[in-house]
This record gives sequence, structure tokens and C-alpha cells, in this order.
Amino acid sequence: MRIRPMQWSKWVVLFLGLLAPITHVCAGADLSLAYEQIEPPSIRIGESAIIRITSLDGYLDNVPLPNVTGLKFEIVARQQGFEFVSGKPIPSSYVLIKVTPEFTGVFTIPGLTPKSRTLGLEVVAAETNNPMAWQAYKRTPPPPPPKATASLPKGAELKAGGAAFVRLVIPTRDIYVGESVPVDIEVGLRPGIVTSLNGLPTVTGGDFTLNNLSRQPERRDEIYGGNQFLLMTWHSVLAAVKPGDFALSVEAPMSVKINTLSAEEISIAARMGDPFLQSLYASIRPKEMTVSSPTSDLKVLPLPAEGRPTDFTGAVCNFQVSSDIAPAHPAAGDPLTLRLHVTGTGNFDRVDSPMFSQLEHWKTYPPKSSFTKSDAVGYKGEKVFEQPLITAQSGDQTIPGLAFSYFNPNTRRYERAQTQPIKVAIGASLANSSPGSLADAATLRRGLRPDHPRSGGSVSDLRPLYFEPTFLAVPATLALILAGGWFVVRPNPARVNAQTNARLLAQLAAAAKSGDAASFFELAREALLQTFATRWGMPRDQITPTEFPSRLGTASAEFERLWALADEALYSNEPGTTDFQHWLALVRAQLKAP
Amino acid sequence: MRAATKTTLTLALTFSAAIAFAAQSAPTSPPALPSQAAASPPTTYSAEGLYNLANQYARAGKPGLAVLNYERAALLAPNDPDITSNLEYVRATAQVPTEPHTRLTRFARLTTPTTAAWLGVIGIALLGGALLASKATRRYRALRVIAALLGITDIALTLSNAALLWPHLHDAVILINQTPARVSPVPMGDTAFVLREAETVTMTAEHEDFILIRTRTGRTGWVARANVGAVVP
Repeated sequence: MRIRPMQWSKWVVLFLGLLAPITHVCAGADLSLAYEQIEPPSIRIGESAIIRITSLDGYLDNVPLPNVTGLKFEIVARQQGFEFVSGKPIPSSYVLIKVTPEFTGVFTIPGLTPKSRTLGLEVVAAETNNPMAWQAYKRTPPPPPPKATASLPKGAELKAGGAAFVRLVIPTRDIYVGESVPVDIEVGLRPGIVTSLNGLPTVTGGDFTLNNLSRQPERRDEIYGGNQFLLMTWHSVLAAVKPGDFALSVEAPMSVKINTLSAEEISIAARMGDPFLQSLYASIRPKEMTVSSPTSDLKVLPLPAEGRPTDFTGAVCNFQVSSDIAPAHPAAGDPLTLRLHVTGTGNFDRVDSPMFSQLEHWKTYPPKSSFTKSDAVGYKGEKVFEQPLITAQSGDQTIPGLAFSYFNPNTRRYERAQTQPIKVAIGASLANSSPGSLADAATLRRGLRPDHPRSGGSVSDLRPLYFEPTFLAVPATLALILAGGWFVVRPNPARVNAQTNARLLAQLAAAAKSGDAASFFELAREALLQTFATRWGMPRDQITPTEFPSRLGTASAEFERLWALADEALYSNEPGTTDFQHWLALVRAQLKAP
Repeated sequence: MRAATKTTLTLALTFSAAIAFAAQSAPTSPPALPSQAAASPPTTYSAEGLYNLANQYARAGKPGLAVLNYERAALLAPNDPDITSNLEYVRATAQVPTEPHTRLTRFARLTTPTTAAWLGVIGIALLGGALLASKATRRYRALRVIAALLGITDIALTLSNAALLWPHLHDAVILINQTPARVSPVPMGDTAFVLREAETVTMTAEHEDFILIRTRTGRTGWVARANVGAVVP
């Protein structure tokens, strides 16, 4: 069998292809016998990440913990295991280090082993949607579906193998030296490929200042070219320090997972038809790189010297001014606060006003200023200058208007904003007013009235009597007495009953004495009915002689007899020979019984 | 029952009369004598004595001590026109503002604090007696209503008098002209403002030898205790 040269070359390539991963693994093992990785690379504040150090050449005795401001490191576990390299198990040891952040930011952790690379950790606020965390943490609700976009934003170019892009959005017009212009910096990252952002974006070159770069960018998900991107946007203010034509660019450091093989190795792997063999060549590792944005042209013009006011302090853009004074009705000698409000947009750090250095009839003091921004970067807001003023002169006074000069880039000329004069009525001072301003002329003319003859009594204390504790005992005692009297005179059922009984007995005695049997027995029956009704707790019209045996026992016969005599006396209307005293005693005994 | 009602009303009226007599026959003692150390409190006070003492200070050109004693005299005799007139005169000459008098002020100062105190007791007795009588009987309705109304009026007069005088219990008068009011209660403290002699202020706190005062215009500062005299010592 004859082997053709072409077939020989195939066999050589195959042999080399089988040999290459082995040599690569051996070489890799020599170079990185210990390596480390952090998971997840982005967390929220309050959460922790884990650094896993893998050693292929033995037990890791001493792993020095790094010192990074804002991060706490703690070794949580040491483990033994096997790493499979080209299908062969290699004894390995692991060290797990817990990383807990103290505040938000992007942290760089130096390598923990001699040949290891640095690690990046991004810590976001607790309420911020963690860009990397959805893969590892399923507790948070899923983010809203990203907005489908066909192409990249204008001016953006994919870098790092299509894993990221950086874009700078600046105004298209010319700007002036010192002028603050709002800019947006957009960084698009492919989650999973870009493992971490290792710092804030920076402007290339030293001719510009990037102020108030917000630490927490806006985050949203976008789809560009069918790939999902995490788009982070920083809002900032850019200012030029000198005139000229500039090409601006922004760069952002990040860690990107890329294939570390050379082109030759990749081409060798590509010739392998079997995907398993190709996977042996896959050496995807995070790599730190800096992604830059395309350059943007920006022309910076100098501020014109013509027409520049003498009080111009460098404020450029559009401002409005107003003023007020407080209090509205001061007295001479009282300090007043004059306020100048400067509102609008622009470089408020260059907005300055000397206020009044001198003012006739007024004593002036150095002003203070404060700035309240109304957007995230301080491009819009209000700056307030406060100056204390004191006058010793009463009457109506006028404080002149305040002026403020600035350069308006829209009109391309200097403008001057001025407030209206403030009229203030200064009242007379207690300490510094003239004698005639307060003294009533009639009062002064009438003079002192003469002394009084001493005829009245005196007291030992000027404190009014009703504030003296000893005196307060008098009304308190009186109130107690009245309250006691209230209890005494309040209606008492027992007393009312006793009085009624006594009245009835007196009437019975009178009827007996007169021999009026009808009245006597009727009164006696009424008294007993009332007594029985109260005692038995039932309506008096339901009390009949039939109730007596069950309630009165053997004594019921006497009461039945009394009922019968009452009926008899009522209908016969004749004075009989009744023993009134017997029946009176019977009724009295029942009325006085408990 | 009729007798009981009569007894209740009689007792209430008798008690009121006794209290009124007690109010009229307040203990008398020799009137206070003028003293150069007028800011220090004397042992006894009388309206006439304080008024005459204030006049002496006014004539001697000491408006602070004069106003202090006029204010004290006005506590005992609030309706005395001479005290009010001379107080306004001294304040005018000392260039300090006069205290305004409202209708409530005039109503509450219809009586002296002592009389108002006893009137309050009488009011309690009348109102309580009327309520007791109404509980005991339904007779004498007009008498009971009149007694209750009188009692309520007396109590209202006493309460308004007390409410009006309460803020003045912490009043003080500046005795030394150009008295500095300092920002802190130390002798070397910065001067916030200067007070004029005879100006009336309110004491709000004290710390060692300093008193925190508040002027009628609302300014506050620490003043040396020796430079002010409390109206009610």
C-alpha cells in the first residue's frame, strides 16, 4: 500500500493536533499552578462574593489576605479535590475566601498568588439592579425584557471581540473655554463575556475636566445585533480648559473573557473536525483591557475679550437673578439678610458675586453662598448669596439692585442680569433711637404724679395669692366639701323607701285610730303589695293571694285573711270590730323586714 | 327638705361673706420703707409703699429701679391710675416702649390678684352650693341659677386674671444702662446686643450668675444677674 504525500501531511497534522493540547496543558500547569477566580464579579451591597483559589501543585499553606479599602476578606473553607486536565485527574487544593464590601464601587483585588492576575469586583447599591447577578441569584424578580434594537447607537463601535462598546455623547456645537456642557458616557457590556468593569470611564487627554461623574450609572438592558447588552450611562459635565480643536475619546477598563490561544493554535484547532478536540483548545480566560470610544471632534472657542464686563467672573451659559431681604419689618440695629438668587444652567462653580462691599447708611458683612443642584450633575440649580446688613438709620431706605455678568453662548455675547432695588422700612430701635422717637409728648409733659398717703395693708409676697400652694388648699378643701355634700344629698333608695314606709305606717295608724276599716285595709294592702313587689322582684299587679303559700309559708294565712278583710271592708263600708293593732303590727313587721 | 335647701344656700352665702371679709381684712403691717438696695426684696410690700419708692427713684434719675417698683406696685394695685401714668412717664423718658393694654388686660385687671383669688373661692362656693341645692330640691330655681351664674363669673374672672399675670411672673427690668446681652453665660462672652435701662424683659433660664432673657422683640441673650431685677422676687 502506497501512501500519498497529501495523506502524510494529514497524518502529521493530526499527530501534532493530538500533541498540542498536552503540551499546552503542561505549559499551562507550569505557568499557573495556582490561579483564582471570583464569583460573582458584581454584587449588591450587603452581599458577599467568593474568591476560589485553586492550586494544582500541592496544599496552599499560607494565603495572605489582601488589603483593599472597602473590602473585608475572610477565609471560609479549605478543600481537597481533583481537577481534570485533558481527562486526567490532578490532585488539587482549594481555598475559599469570602469578600464582603463596606460600600459601593468598583474594586480591584490584587492577585493572591504569585503568578495570578488581579480580580475586579463591582459593588452596586442594594436597590440597584445587579447587572451580573441574575445568573447566580434568582431571588430578585426578573428584569423587564430588553428593548429590541437593530443596530448599535450612532457613534458606537463594538470592541473586545464584540463584547463591549463605549460611546461619548457631546454637543455638536462649538463650546467656549470654561463653559460646562452636559455629556453622556455610555458603556455597553455583554453579560457573561465581560466579567467586570474595573473602574470609571475617563476622558483621554488633559485638556478637559469631567466633573461630577455620578458613581452610580443608569442601567438598562438593550439588544444590539441579536445580543443582549447591559447599557450603563453616566451623566456628567465636561469643561474645556483651553481653546482649540480636539478629538475627544472616553475609555473604560474592564475584564473580558477571551480566548488566549494564538491564531496559529486556533487555526490548528479549527482543522479538527471533532468538537471535543476543538474544546481542548478552548482557553477562555478573563483578560483586563481598556475599551475606548470613537473619537468625537469638539471645537473650543476662547471667550471674546470685546465687551467683557469688569465684574465678569467666568460664568458661562444662561442665568436669571432675583433678590429678597429678610426680615420684612426690621428695626434699626437689627441684622438683615440680603439674598441674591442665581438660577439657570451653566458652570455654577464660576458664578460669583461680591454683593455689596460698601453701602451708604449700611454696615456690610462678607457674603456666603450655597448651591442647590436640581439635576444629578449640578448643571442646573440655584446658587444663593447671603449677605448680612445692618443699618442704624430708621425710616424708609432703598437697597440698590444687584448685578451679575455672564457670557451667553447662544447669543455669543456678554449679558448682565440685574435685580430690582429693594425698599425696606426700618423701624425705630430700642437701643439706638432718638429720645423723641418713642416718648409720647403728652406723656412727657404731664410729669410724675405725686406720692400716695400710706393707708393700705401690705403683703409678704408679691406672688399672686392664687399661685400660693397654701392658698390653693382653700379652694381644694371647699371643692372636697362640696363633693362630699353631693354624695350626701344624692337620692338613696333605702332612705327613700324608709321614708315612704314611715309615711304609710303613720297613715295606717291614723286610719286605725279613726276606725276607718276600708281605708286601713286598703292602705295596708297597698303597702304590702309594694313591699312584696320589691322583695320578690315582680310586678305588683301580678301579686295575688295565690302566691302567698309558696312564698310566705305558714304566715300566708294571715295575709290571705287581710286581703279578704280589705275586700270586705271595701264593699261593706261598715266599721267592724276589727283588731286594727294586730293588723298594724303585721304590716309594720313586713315593712321593716329586710 | 325645704329647711335643708335653705341651710345649703345659707351656708354657701355665709361662707362667701366670710371669705369676702377675710379678703378685706388682709393683714396689715408697717409700710415698706425706701431702700437704696431696692432690687433686693423687702420683707413686706404695699402698693403705696412701692409706688412712693418708685417715685423717689424716678426723681433720682434711676428709671430702672423706678420701673421695677412701679411694676411691683401694679401687681398689688393694677387699677391705680397713678401707677400706670407714672410707669408710662418713666418709660417714655427712658426711651423704652410702653406695654400695650388690651381689652382682656383691662377686664382681668378689674380686681387685684388677692381679690381675684378670693373671688374664685366664692365662685366655687356659689357654683357648688347651687349644684347641691338643685340636687336636693327643685324649688328656688331662680335663686339657684343666679348663684350658679355668679359663681361662674367669679371663677372666670379669677382664671383670666391668673392667665394674664402668669407671664409677668417671670418679668424683669434692666437696672443698668447699656447692659450687654451676651451669647453665652460667661463674662467674656460675645455681646449679642445691648439693653437700655428700664427695659422690661422676660427671664427664661438662669445659669450661675447669668440670666437668659428675651426681649419684647424676641431677641435672647445672657445678662448678668446683678443688672436685672425680677418683678416678682
